[in-house]
Amino acid sequence: MIHFDQVSKRYDGGFEALSSLSFNIDKGEFVFLTGHSGAGKSTLLKLITAIEKPSSGQIRVDGIQLKTMNRRDIAFYRRKLGIVHQDHQLLMNHSVFDNVAQPLIVAGENPSDIKRRVHAALDKVGLLSREKFKPIQLSGGEQQRVGIARAVVKKPDVILADEPTGNLDPALSRDIMSLFAQFNDIGTTVLIASHDLGLIARLNYRVLSLKQGRMITSPFASGAA
Amino acid sequence: MAKNRAATNRRRNRAPKVDIKGWYRHHLMCARSALMGLIRQPISSALTWLVIAIALLLPTLFYIALQAINTQTQAWQEGGQITLYLNNTTTIDQGQALANELRARPEVSTVEYISKQQAWDSFRSVLSLQSALELDENPLPASIVVVPIEQSMADLEALILMLTDLADVEDIQIDLAWIERLNNVLDLIESIVQVLSIILATAVLLIVGNTIRLSIESRKAEIQIIKLLGATDNYVRRPFLYLGFWYGLSGGLAAWLLLTLISLNFQNQLDTFLASYGLTAPAIWLNVREFGILLLSSILVSLMGARIALWRHLKDTDPQ
Ligand SMILES: Nc1ncnc2c1ncn2[C@@H]1O[C@H](COP(=O)(O)OP(=O)(O)OP(=O)(O)O)[C@@H](O)[C@H]1O
Ligand SMILES: [Mg+2]
Repeated sequence: MIHFDQVSKRYDGGFEALSSLSFNIDKGEFVFLTGHSGAGKSTLLKLITAIEKPSSGQIRVDGIQLKTMNRRDIAFYRRKLGIVHQDHQLLMNHSVFDNVAQPLIVAGENPSDIKRRVHAALDKVGLLSREKFKPIQLSGGEQQRVGIARAVVKKPDVILADEPTGNLDPALSRDIMSLFAQFNDIGTTVLIASHDLGLIARLNYRVLSLKQGRMITSPFASGAA
Repeated sequence: MAKNRAATNRRRNRAPKVDIKGWYRHHLMCARSALMGLIRQPISSALTWLVIAIALLLPTLFYIALQAINTQTQAWQEGGQITLYLNNTTTIDQGQALANELRARPEVSTVEYISKQQAWDSFRSVLSLQSALELDENPLPASIVVVPIEQSMADLEALILMLTDLADVEDIQIDLAWIERLNNVLDLIESIVQVLSIILATAVLLIVGNTIRLSIESRKAEIQIIKLLGATDNYVRRPFLYLGFWYGLSGGLAAWLLLTLISLNFQNQLDTFLASYGLTAPAIWLNVREFGILLLSSILVSLMGARIALWRHLKDTDPQ
């Protein structure tokens, strides 16, 4: 599903955040991405979401060479992804409902469908009662859960989550992880960046570890084995 | 090969079916929310559409004045005449036949044929040079005097051209030179109005462009987010294009309202003022067609302003 081939990312200013990264995530896999702060986890996810372009190497997602996409292709490509951002990226002057509905509105779904699916997604993250609130009226953890609801509302092919449990207590973290696991059970590929090593250790999934932009675990072996 | 792969990518990425309904819904939503945005901030949006209105009002007033002068010149044409001097080889019969032919034309009011002899007679009676100037032969040509009906300058010019080209006509004398001079002045004023219109249209373009630019800037974070959710450039542009549309429409309507105000306040005064010189005042008014053109150009120029602002600033809103 996600193939990296000798991918490097050098930011403007010359800092190399990722160096010659090669790995492979199969369709329907559940993978954790770990590493210290600044190891390049967010950078890796930004490459997959085509927010950043690699300086060299090739990335293929669902058979698509990312670098051959034009702007319109990128838009349609992103509709297949469910992205949870480290910094939430919510629309601050829209309600929780509108925030979660955005991916469906962008895709042109009809209003009654949107309402039903947004309610289902909000219910899954326990925020159904807050649908009329603005993000500013929510706690950090609640905002994070709005971001998660938005990422899963469209039943994406791939879920990419950057520290989705960073602001959540252990019980909520477990709930969110089991939500991702539910999607994984129906075939969704899941990649989660996290440095919550305790949580990662409890869940028996494959782990990719980054250290200063390099992969330090064998990229093709399964951690669960 | 690479091209092939790109094509495959595109096919894979494309939405399975084009959802016309969703597309139409989004248009409706953008149109409505852009309009609501204007209404919710009446003061700041009024600044924009008022400037548009004033920029449109100026050329409109000039246009009305120009139309008025143009109709006046038609009346002033009366009394003008064109004299055709015929070839020496043209017989009296041919000359009269030509005169009859011209008389039948709709753009001609009266035609008079003056034979060589008649010309000679009137020449002698005026100058009484009978004895002093004995010529063996009458040197004067036969002529036809044509008085055209009231018509536009362009039609008149066409008529003159046609007359000049007649085979029997040796020379043509136009008694309308002053009208032509006036017409040159009008042409000059018209080009000034055109240049002015272009300058003011550019002003509208810049005003709307700047307003849209500010709007894009204030919604930059929002745009970055919806791009991450799969919004295409067209989708992102749409609300701003509708904003431009509403500015154009409200600016055009406001220009028309200002014109109506001017008409209500000044039409009477203008009428009495010009009547004292024996002139009819123009109606400070636009007919339906002209009103339509005013609105349409206002909308088009505003849309262009919005489009240019988007083209310049949309790249800044790519997610980082
Ligand atoms: N836009 C940028 N321009 C320049 N350097 C950047 C940019 N974004 C990230 N970096 C650098 O790249 C390195 C990796 O950053 P990244 O955000 O990928 O780390 P991370 O693993 O997600 O860290 P954290 O756990 O703190 O979120 C950092 O050292 C950072 O300074
Ligand atoms: Mg990060």
